[in-house]
This record gives sequence, structure tokens and C-alpha cells, in this order.
Amino acid sequence: MYKVMIIDDEKSLRNLLKMTVPWESLGLEVAGEAASGIEAINRIDEIQPDIAFVDIQMPFMDGIQFSKLAIRRYPDLKIIILTAHSDFAYARECIGIGVCEYLLKPVSRAEVREVLERILRKLEAREPRQEVPVLLQGNENVSRIVEYIQASYQDPDLNLTAIAQKFGFNPSYLSRLFKGETGKSLIDYLTEWRMEKAILLARQGSLMYMTAKAVGIPDPNYFGKCFKKYTDQTYTEYVKKLKKP
Amino acid sequence: MDGKWHVVERGRRWFASRKLKEKVRILFLGVITLYVLLFFFLYSFLIQKNMLEYALESNRSTMAAIGKNLEVELETTSAMSQLIMRNRDVVEYLKKDASKDPRLAYNATVAVFDISNTFRNVSSIYLFKNNGETLHISRGVTRVDMAVVRDPSWNWEIRQKDGGYVLRVDGDGAFSSPSGEPLVSFLRMVNDIETQQPLGMMAINLSRGLLDGTYSEMEGEGRQFAYMDPSRGWLWDEPVDLGGLSPGDEDFEQTHGGNWWRPWIASCHRVPDTPFVLAGRETVSINRFLSAEAAVSMAAVVLLTFASLGGLGLFLSIHITRPIERLSASMDQVKDGWLRRVSIELPDDEIGHLKDRYNNMLVEINRLIEALLEKEQAMRQAELEILQEQIKPHFLYNTLETIGYLALQGKREEAYEAIETLGAFYRKFLNQGNPEISLREEVAIVRDYLKLQKLRYEEVFEDAYELQEDLLEYKVPKLILQPLVENSLYHGLRPKGEPGIIRISVYAREGMLHICVYDNGVGMDQATREALLGGENSKSFGFKGTLDRIRHFCAREDVVEVDSREGEYSRVDIRMPLERGGTGYVQGHDHR
Repeated sequence: MYKVMIIDDEKSLRNLLKMTVPWESLGLEVAGEAASGIEAINRIDEIQPDIAFVDIQMPFMDGIQFSKLAIRRYPDLKIIILTAHSDFAYARECIGIGVCEYLLKPVSRAEVREVLERILRKLEAREPRQEVPVLLQGNENVSRIVEYIQASYQDPDLNLTAIAQKFGFNPSYLSRLFKGETGKSLIDYLTEWRMEKAILLARQGSLMYMTAKAVGIPDPNYFGKCFKKYTDQTYTEYVKKLKKP
Repeated sequence: MDGKWHVVERGRRWFASRKLKEKVRILFLGVITLYVLLFFFLYSFLIQKNMLEYALESNRSTMAAIGKNLEVELETTSAMSQLIMRNRDVVEYLKKDASKDPRLAYNATVAVFDISNTFRNVSSIYLFKNNGETLHISRGVTRVDMAVVRDPSWNWEIRQKDGGYVLRVDGDGAFSSPSGEPLVSFLRMVNDIETQQPLGMMAINLSRGLLDGTYSEMEGEGRQFAYMDPSRGWLWDEPVDLGGLSPGDEDFEQTHGGNWWRPWIASCHRVPDTPFVLAGRETVSINRFLSAEAAVSMAAVVLLTFASLGGLGLFLSIHITRPIERLSASMDQVKDGWLRRVSIELPDDEIGHLKDRYNNMLVEINRLIEALLEKEQAMRQAELEILQEQIKPHFLYNTLETIGYLALQGKREEAYEAIETLGAFYRKFLNQGNPEISLREEVAIVRDYLKLQKLRYEEVFEDAYELQEDLLEYKVPKLILQPLVENSLYHGLRPKGEPGIIRISVYAREGMLHICVYDNGVGMDQATREALLGGENSKSFGFKGTLDRIRHFCAREDVVEVDSREGEYSRVDIRMPLERGGTGYVQGHDHR
């Protein structure tokens, strides 16, 4: 069973894809979705997709930017660019960066199926990658990583894989190492750190979209979701409450 | 008076409407005509008048001179008669009885013949003695009627003269010439010198040469003379047209006539002590009064004048009318719609400068037209880009996907409404050939647009409208509102990540129509605002194009005010003058 991630700012398209494609019969499952490139960067490590549908036109971080980043970090990821005719010249740029498939909007089910089957054949022909067992090493590295996170949380590209590549680890190994040392997943730690910083900014009355940018999640919608999840209330409510007393 | 003025005015207009060349021609024709008229006026009223007076005086003296000539001739004849009378042989012949001595008659005849030979015009000489004897000499044949000669009533007058002479044409019937030519008879008595008793009578018949000789030198050059005897009529001369004069009444009579260029003078002169009247007629010709040199110099002046006029005309033609004509012909090409430069060669004078300036003007006009065309094209381009922006697949595809999802969810009502709205939006959006539409339609397009966008970004925004109803019929460039609203949605509200509002207001203030799009999105800092107004990035290009179209439409620069506070709101305020020349604001009583 291969995992699919849908990255598109159009909720309708995400839903349509989910509903109209016979995923199971193809041997696929939609493991997650994201409404922007920023959200995708933050969620891709936990979803670990094999295939990603990427809309070329998204706010905050467009599909090209995201794909460049994703191909660098996840060489095995199969990216399907969703584009409209008028963007086609733009989409050709992606050829240079190794994007393998295109789907022209509006997408038809047959085309989606065709593209997916092609990708599946490639995935099945691929040699399964050997997981190299790595010895767990002391917390020296982890404390360096924590420092690194605290220093560069404002970088919107920052995620588990980015940190792992930076320190020369295998991402899943790093994940386990980090959890073993701190009791928290690295992804959660990064988000929590960002949210703590956000709360500080909220107390200063900073506007949400500015706070979002300041803490390295420049997509205010996704930031809003994270903030609500972390504090159980929306950013606006949080700011209002602070103002009241 | 009115009619006269009308004619003058019409003539003036006619002249004014002529071409330059024709005007110059007409002017020259006028000058030449005036010149010729003036010349003839001077000739006929000044020169001719003096000339005629002079001619009349000259005629009078000529006539008198001829009369004098005749008198001289007659005195000569008288002298001849004296010579004959005093001749010894003649006296002897007259005193003695010649019948007894034939030598007496012979000697007298020889003497008379000798004397007569020294005089001209003598046709014959007769001597009639009292006793009836007759002696005569003759050059031609002359007949004599002795009965008449003996008639006392015929010779009574001669006897009475007592030494004087009597002139009679053909001797009043006594003599005649076989040729029929009249003779002038000079008749006198011959007296004895000692006793003063009459010895006989002498008749000298003179031929026409006597009379002809008096004027032969004067004739010619249009002059004609003739003698007449008032009792007998014209003598042997050709009759002269006297122009109504009746000869013989006065000693001298004169008349003149004819037209101004060929006057004639007729006159009669009674020659004293003779039965003759001299008649004369002359035609006055200018060359008698104008010397050849004067005529030549006059002609030269006239010719020179014409030549200078011609030269002046030629100069005008070469240097003014022809270049202007060519320039005009070249400029006429503009009529065909081509603003072509005049490339003909013209002298470097005012006309050449005219051409240069005209060319400069053309260059300027062409430049302006080009600029205008460019501007117009830019306007169309901007309009087209906004159309493309919306027709472009994203909006349509995304909306279709949204509708598709609604359908799959089983939201039939919503799906149908969305399709309906989408249809309405595109109908209004595309089906506008006219570049101007009413504000009401603009707002309707935006309402549909936002309704469709709300399906996609439900949580993002609300829309609100504050519209002054009576302004909604105002005509505006089409699709000015939608780009502003789109800008608010994508660059104001969405980046904020919080629910917001888009408010569209239409109101009038201080003679200006305000169309205001407000959103409480992220707002803009100074740099972003300037970039937006300047069209400096691709995202705001449509916005700048919209402003340019509004500027073009209102023909003014100041059409927009962007007000914003970062993180709080932005407001784009479009203002257009309510009063526009001709088209524009239509009072909106039609409340739909």
C-alpha cells in the first residue's frame, strides 16, 4: 500500500480527488493533505507519502518552490503537478527539477488513474531501500539539534528531514533518537517551540499573520490550525482574552 | 443700394474663392486693361484735342497759301498781258489797218507767240480789234464763238474794268476746248497808251495747270483739293466731300468730323478777285503730329511696361504661386489619410520655411497619433488582460471543481445555485461589446464573482454593499471593480488567515463619484502601496491597468486614493467626475 498526499489550496479539489479515485483498488491510500506548501512541509514527515499531488498555484509557497524542496529532501517522492493550461510554460520549469508527471486541470478521473498506474509501475520496479540499522548515540547530538531548532525555527523550510540532512542522519533514525532522548517527537517539539514563541507574540498584540510569519509558518491558515490545536482556542480569541482584563 | 452692395460682395467672394494663380492672372488682366484704357483716355482727350486744333489751324493756313498761289499766278498772267500790250508790233497792229498790210498781223502774232512762250499754262491768246479784225495764237485747239464775243452784254463788264481784268471760266461761253476741259479766260481791254482810248480786247485762255499748280505741292498725305465755280459747280477736279459745307457764302468756312482715331477736316476758301472757291479736305493722321522717335519711345515705354508686368508675373509665378501650388498639391495627399511629409524641393525662403514647419507639424502630429494609438492599445490590452485573468482556467476550473464536489456531496440546491451564478457571471462578464457599462452591472458582476469565491473560501470573508441607488446608472469603463475586489480578496484577506469583510460603497461627494473597495485584510505598507499603484509587480499589473483605463476614461490623472493601515485594512477609493462632456451620468430613476 503506497501513501498519497494531496497538496492543494482548493478544498474542493482535495475532496474530489479523495472521493473520485478508487484508491484502494489501485493499492493506494490518501494518507494526508495540505492546503499550502507551508503546511505540506510541516506535515510531510509524519505522512511520509510515496506520491504527492501538488497544485502549481498556491499562496505562501507555490508548487514549484515546494517541489524543488521536496525533491531535494525526498528523492524517492513521486510528484504529480496539477496545473492549468495558462501555467504550462511555468510548469515546464519542473522538468528540470525532476517532477515526473503533470495533470491538466480540470482533472478527469481517467487521467488521474492513468498517471497513477504509470507511477505505480515505477514504484514497483524500484528496489526496496534497505534500512541501515544505526546505533543510538548519546544526547550530545540531540542537544545540538534542540539548539539548532531554537535558533532557526523562523525558517519556514525547516522540518525533520531538513534537520536530519543537516546533521547527517537518516530522518526516521533521527526521529527515534530525538524521541528517545526527549520523550517528544522532533516534529512536535518544533511545533511546540513555535507555538510558545507565538504566544509570546500574541501577548504583545501581534496580528496573527505577522506572528505566523515570525514563527516560521507564513501560512496563517495552517498557523491558525496549529495554534488552536496547541492552545485550544483561536489566535484571535486568545488575543481578545488577553486584552480584556 | 442694397443690390449694388450685394453684387460687390458677391464679386469679392468670387475673387476670394479663386486660386492664387487665377487671382494673379485676374490682377494682371485688370492692370493691363486699366493701363490701356488710361492710355486711350489720355490720347483721345488730351493729345487728340490739341492735335485737332492744330490741324484746323494748319488747314486754314494751307488754304490761304493756295489762294495766294493763285493770286500770284494771276498777277503773272496780268504782267504777261502788259508785256503784250506794250509790244511795238502789237501796238502797231492794233493802231493800223492790218488789212492793208499783212506784215502787221504777222509781226504781232510772232511777238505775242514769243511772249507767251515764256509763260506756263497758256492755252491760247486772242486779240479782238475794234474794227473786227482778230489775231490769235494757240497751243492747243480752242474754239471761239465770235457772236458771243461781239455781244455787248458779254463784253460790258470787261469795258467797265478799264485796265483791270475779268476772269471767266470758258470765257462764259465764248471759248471752249474740244477736249471739254474748262479753260480759265483772262479778259481785259487794250488801250492806247497815249490817248487811253480802247484799241481792242485781249483774252488769254489758261489751261488747268494754272489751278493745279497752286496746290500740287500740298496734295497727298490724306489731303485733297479742288476748285469750283459756285455758279457752275466743280471744275475739272475730282469733287471733294465738304461734309455739309455750302461753298461761297463766306470767305472761309471750316468743319470737321469723323471718329476719334481718324478725324477729318473740310474747308472752303473763296479766292479774292476770282470767281473760284477752293475746297479742301484732309484726314488727320497721328503720324503727322507724332514724330517717329516719339512714337518709338512711346511704344518702347508701353512695351517696357508690359515686359515688366510680364516679368513680375513670371517672378510671382516662379517664386510664389508655383511653389505654393506644389506645396498645396503635396499637402493635399493628407486628404487621402496619409500624413506624409512633403519632400518636394522648395527655395529656402518663407515658402521653404512653411514647408519645413508643416513637416515638423506633421512629425509632431504623427508622433501624437502614434502615442494616442499606443495608449489606446495599452487600454485595450489592459482590458483584455483582466478578461483573460478571469477567463483563465483557474477561476473557472476551481469553481467547476467546487460545484462538482457540491454535487458529489449531494448538495443539489447549492450545486444548482452555483451553476446558475457561474452562468450569470460569465454572461455579464463576456457579453459586453461596449467598453462602457453601467455601475449597476459592474456591481452585479462583482456580486456574482464574490458569491462564487465564497463557495471556495467560505470561512475567509463576507461581502457588504453600500450603494447610492441613483448613481448606479452612471457609465463606467467595464470591469474596473472586479480587479479591485480580487485584489482585496487575494492580497488583503487571504494572507491574513482570519475571517474578514469586503465592502463596496458607491457614493457621491463634491461632484465626484466615489467607488470604494474596503477590506480589513493585511493592509499595505508604503512600499507595497507604491508598488501596487505603479504596477511594478506582476500581481498588481491588472490593478495598474485598471487605473490607467479609468484615467483614460475620465481624461484626468487623479482618479484613485489608496488608504491603508498595515494589518488592519486597505481602502481603494476610485473617484470620477460626475459631470462628463456629452455621455456619462444618466440619472438613475430606473430603480430595478
